[in-house]
Amino acid sequence: MARTSRRDLFKLTGAGVAAASLGGIAGILASGRTPAYAQVTTVHLLRWNDFIPTSDQLLRSTILPEAEKALGLKVNFETVNGNDLQPRITAAIQSGAGPDLIMLFNNNPHLYAASVVDLSDVAEEVGRVGGGFYPISKSNCHDGKAWISMPMSIIGAMIAYRKSWFAEIGVNSFPDTWDGYRDAGKKLKAKGRPIGQAFGHSFGDPPTFAYPFMWSFGGKEVDQAGKVVINSKETVESIRYMIGFFKDAHDEGGLAWDDSSNNRAFLAQTICASLNGASIYIASTRNPEQYKTEKGGLLKDDILHAPLPKGPAGQFGFHTFQSHVLPKYSRNQAAAKNFLKWLHTPANYDKWFVSQQGFSTGPTQDTEKSKMWDTNPVMAPYRVAGKLGQTPGYVGPPNAKAAEVLSKYIITDMYAKAIQGMSPENAAKWAEDELKKIYV
Amino acid sequence: MATYATTAVVTPRPRYRVLEDERWLAMALLLPTIVLLAMFIAYPFVKGILLSVTNTRVGVPGEFVGLANFYKIWNDSIFRSAVYNTFVYTGVTTVFKLGLGLWLALLLNRNFRGKTFTRAFILLPFIIPTVLSTFAWKWMFDPTFSVLNWMFWKLGLISSRINWLGDPDLAMLSVIIVNIWRGVPFFAISLLAGLQTINPDLHEAAAIDGAPPLKRFIYITWPLLLPVTMVVVLFSVIQTFADFQLVYVLTEGGPANSTHLFATYAYNLGIRTGLLSEGAAISLAMFPVLFLVVIFQLLYIRRVETR
Amino acid sequence: MIEGALWRKWVYFYVPLILFLIFLLFPFYWMMITTFRPDGELYRPWNAWNYTPFWTWNPTWAHIEYLFRETIFGTWLWNTMFIATISTMISLVCGVFAGYALSRLKFPFAGGLGTGIFVTYLVPQTLLFIPLADIIRDYRLGDTPWALILTYPTFLIPFCTWLMMGYFKAIPKELEECARIDGASRWKAMIYIILPVAVPGILSAGIFAFTLSWNVFIYALVFLSSPQEKTVPVGVVSELIRGDVFFWGPLMAGALLGSIPVAVVYSFFVEHYVSGLTGSVKG
Repeated sequence: MARTSRRDLFKLTGAGVAAASLGGIAGILASGRTPAYAQVTTVHLLRWNDFIPTSDQLLRSTILPEAEKALGLKVNFETVNGNDLQPRITAAIQSGAGPDLIMLFNNNPHLYAASVVDLSDVAEEVGRVGGGFYPISKSNCHDGKAWISMPMSIIGAMIAYRKSWFAEIGVNSFPDTWDGYRDAGKKLKAKGRPIGQAFGHSFGDPPTFAYPFMWSFGGKEVDQAGKVVINSKETVESIRYMIGFFKDAHDEGGLAWDDSSNNRAFLAQTICASLNGASIYIASTRNPEQYKTEKGGLLKDDILHAPLPKGPAGQFGFHTFQSHVLPKYSRNQAAAKNFLKWLHTPANYDKWFVSQQGFSTGPTQDTEKSKMWDTNPVMAPYRVAGKLGQTPGYVGPPNAKAAEVLSKYIITDMYAKAIQGMSPENAAKWAEDELKKIYV
Repeated sequence: MATYATTAVVTPRPRYRVLEDERWLAMALLLPTIVLLAMFIAYPFVKGILLSVTNTRVGVPGEFVGLANFYKIWNDSIFRSAVYNTFVYTGVTTVFKLGLGLWLALLLNRNFRGKTFTRAFILLPFIIPTVLSTFAWKWMFDPTFSVLNWMFWKLGLISSRINWLGDPDLAMLSVIIVNIWRGVPFFAISLLAGLQTINPDLHEAAAIDGAPPLKRFIYITWPLLLPVTMVVVLFSVIQTFADFQLVYVLTEGGPANSTHLFATYAYNLGIRTGLLSEGAAISLAMFPVLFLVVIFQLLYIRRVETR
Repeated sequence: MIEGALWRKWVYFYVPLILFLIFLLFPFYWMMITTFRPDGELYRPWNAWNYTPFWTWNPTWAHIEYLFRETIFGTWLWNTMFIATISTMISLVCGVFAGYALSRLKFPFAGGLGTGIFVTYLVPQTLLFIPLADIIRDYRLGDTPWALILTYPTFLIPFCTWLMMGYFKAIPKELEECARIDGASRWKAMIYIILPVAVPGILSAGIFAFTLSWNVFIYALVFLSSPQEKTVPVGVVSELIRGDVFFWGPLMAGALLGSIPVAVVYSFFVEHYVSGLTGSVKG
C-alpha cells in the first residue's frame, strides 16, 4: 500500500494543479474536496495531442471536470504525440501498468485484442442511440465476437487546396481524375508552388494517401480469401504513375514529412495542395490576421477541400479512425466504462464534437445531421467522411494482420521506395515479400 | 579532507574483523555491483534469449519456435540494410570523431586566453541530452524552414534546397553529421586528458634537437596517446553501434526504412508493432557482432599496452 | 607554444578553433533563438525574403510560458534531477568499491570478475529493453522512478569502475601500508586514506554518470507512462510534439531549459573532470 500511495498522491496533486489552473474556482473547490474522498478512483485517459488544440483545452477545462463531478471520480488526462500511442500501449501491456483508457488509430485495436476488455455493453448502447454505427466503426473496433474498442470519431482526409492558385492556371473546379490533378500540380510546381504530400512514417497523411491511391488503380494487399495479391499489374501501374506524379508535381521534401509538416508548409504558403484532415484550414481561421495571401487577402478565404481524385478502378478514401481501448491490466475497469458511457452520452459528446469544427465526425450515422455542419460550407465535404472510405486490408478484413501491415508502413514505403529510385516491379515485389511474412 | 585515523585501532571490532581478510573485503565491496548487474543485465539477457526463440507478441504469450525468428530476420531486406547502416554509421563517425577530436584536443592543449571558458563550452554537445539537441538539428534540417539551406544559399553554394532528411543518402549523412557533432567533444576532452599526462620536457628536448612539430607529434605524442585513444574509441564504438535516440528523433528510420540501425529497427518491430520476440531477436543479433568488434579492440589494446 | 609569424598562429590555431566553436555551438544558438522567436517569424520558408535567422526584433516569452502552463515541465525537471542524482550515487558507491577491490586487493577470480563487469558494458541498453520490461513488471516497478534508478546504474557502474580502477592504481601502495602499520583496519584505510586522495577521480566519474543518466532515453520511454513520472527527454518528445502544428517554439524552449541543469553542473566541474580523467589514464 505504501508503494502506491506516493503515486496516487502524485496523481491527485497533478490533477489538482491542472484543475486549479484551468477550472478557476470550480477547480479549486473540486481539488479542495479530494481529501474527503481519499479512495476516489482515478481513470487515466491517454489520447493524442489533438490537431484541434481547442478540443484538448475543452476536455481539460470543462468536459472532464464535469465528468468528475457527475461520476465521483478523477480523470487523469494525458496527451502524447499520435505516433507514440502504439509504443505506449505495448509498453503498458508489457509492464502491466499504464493508462486505463488508450486512444488508438484505425484498425490497431485488433493488434491488442487479447489484452483488452470487452466493451460491447457500452458500444451497443451508443450505437442504438446514435442511429447505428457506420460500417467502418464496426470493422475497426469489433473482432467478430465483441467490441474490443469504443469508437470515438473519424477524421476525414480531404485535399486542402488554394482556390486562387488553381484558378490562376485555369483550373476552376478541383480536378476529379489523377491525370487532371497531376497536370494542375505540374503547372503549379513550375511556378514554385508544388503539391505537398507526406511520405514519412506517420500515422495520418502518408497512409491515408497511399492506400486510396493504390485502391483507385485496382491494387489490393490481399483478396477476400486473405491471399496476398499485391504484386499485380494494377499495383505496379500505380507505382509507375506515382513516380512520375511525384517528380512532376510534388515537393521533394515530402519524403521526410510527418503529419504536421504539410500543415506548416501550407500555412507558410509554399505548397498549393495537400491531403489532410481539416486542421490546416482550422488553424488558418484561429488567428486569421496572421495568414495573409500574397495578394493581401486572408488565407482562410482561399482554402477549399476536395476528395481524392478518381483512378482507373474508381474513387477511394481512407479516413483516420479513432477509438478507445480499455486494457485488461486496468484496476479501474468499472469506472473507466462508466466514464466512456458518460462521454458518449449525446449531450456530453456533442460539446466535444462541436469543438472539432468538423475536423472529425462521429462514429454513428446521426452525427451527419448535426447543425454544426451548416455553419461553414468550406467544411461540408467532411460531413460524409464516415460513410465513405475503406479500411486498411481492403478488400480483406481490417484484422490484426492488416493492422500489422499498417503499423509497419509497408504500403506507404512501397511508394516511397519507388519515388527514391527503386523500379516499380521491385517495389511491388518487396511489398509482396513483406506482406507474405505477415499473412501466413 | 585527510582525517587520518591515527588513533590506533589495535583490535578492530568483530564486525570489521571479517573485512580484514582481503578476500572477504573484496567480496563485500563487489557484492552490490554484482547483484545489480546480475539482476538487470544478466537476467534480462538470458530472458531476451529465451524470448527470441518464441513467437511472443504483445499480450499473447508465445510458443517455442526455435530459430524461426532469426531465420526470418536473416531474409528481411530491412534488417540487412539496418546491419549495413549500422556498420557505415559506426565506421564513418568513429573515424571523423577521432580525427576531429584529436585536432581539437591539440588546439585546446595550448595556452590561450579564455581556455577554461572554451573547454567548458566545447563540451556542451556531449553533455546535453541527445534527444533534446537532436531536435535542434531536426529543426535545422526541416525541409521547409531549414536555416542551413538559407546559409548555404546566401553563401552562394546552392541554388535549390538540400533535401536533408528526405533523400535516403542525405538522410544517412545528416544522421552521421549529428553523431559526429555530438561525439567530438568527448573524444577531444578525453584525449586532452591524455595529452596532459605527457611530460612537456619530452617535447622541449625534441624541439631543442630540432625536430619539427609534425615529427614531434608522430614520434612522441601519438605513441604516448595511443592507449587512451584506444579506450576512447572502444567506448565510442559500443555507444555508436547501439545508438538509438539520434535516429529515433531525426528520421525514425525513414525515409522508407533507409536509415534504420539495429536498435531503431528492433524498437519499431518490438515496441511499435508489438512483435516482441522478433524485436528481441534483432537486438540479440547485434550482440555477437559487437562482441567480435570489441574482442578485437581489446586484444589490440593489450598489445599496445604491453609493448 | 606557437612559433613563427602571427598569420601562422591564425591559420593553425585561431581559425580552426573558431570553426570548431561555430560547428559545436551553433545548434544551441539556434535552440535559444527559436525559444524567443514569435511564431509569425518562426514559420517563414527558408528562401523567404524576410527570413532573418540570426536575430529577432520581437523576442517573446510565449513559448516558455506555454511550456509551464500547458505541460508539467517543472515536474519532469524534478523527476530527472531526482533519478539522475540517486542513480549516480548508487553507481558511484558501487563503482568506487568495485574499482578499489579490483585494483588494490588480491583475491581469487579478480581478473575474471573484472572482465565480467567490463563485458556488461558491452551489453547495450537497446538490447535489453524488451526483456527488461517483463522484469520491471515482475518486480512491480513499472511506472515508478525506481524502474530507472535501479536500471541506470547497470551501464554507469562499468564505466565508473573502469575509471576508478585506473585512478586507484596510480595511488602508491605505501600510503595504505603506512596507515595499516599505524593500526588502521583495511576498511578505515580505504575510507580515510585512499578515498580522499581519489576525490578528483570520483568527481569525474560522478559527473560522467550524472550526464549519462540525464541523457538516457529508451528505458525512460519504455518503462514510464504517467505524465507525472516522466523525465525531461521523454516528456518533451511525447507531449511537446503536438498535433497543433506550431510546436517548435515550446519544444526548443523545453530543450533549452532541460539542458541548463547539466550545463551548470559541468561549468563548475569541467576542470576537475579533465584532471580526474588525466589521473585515471595515467594509471
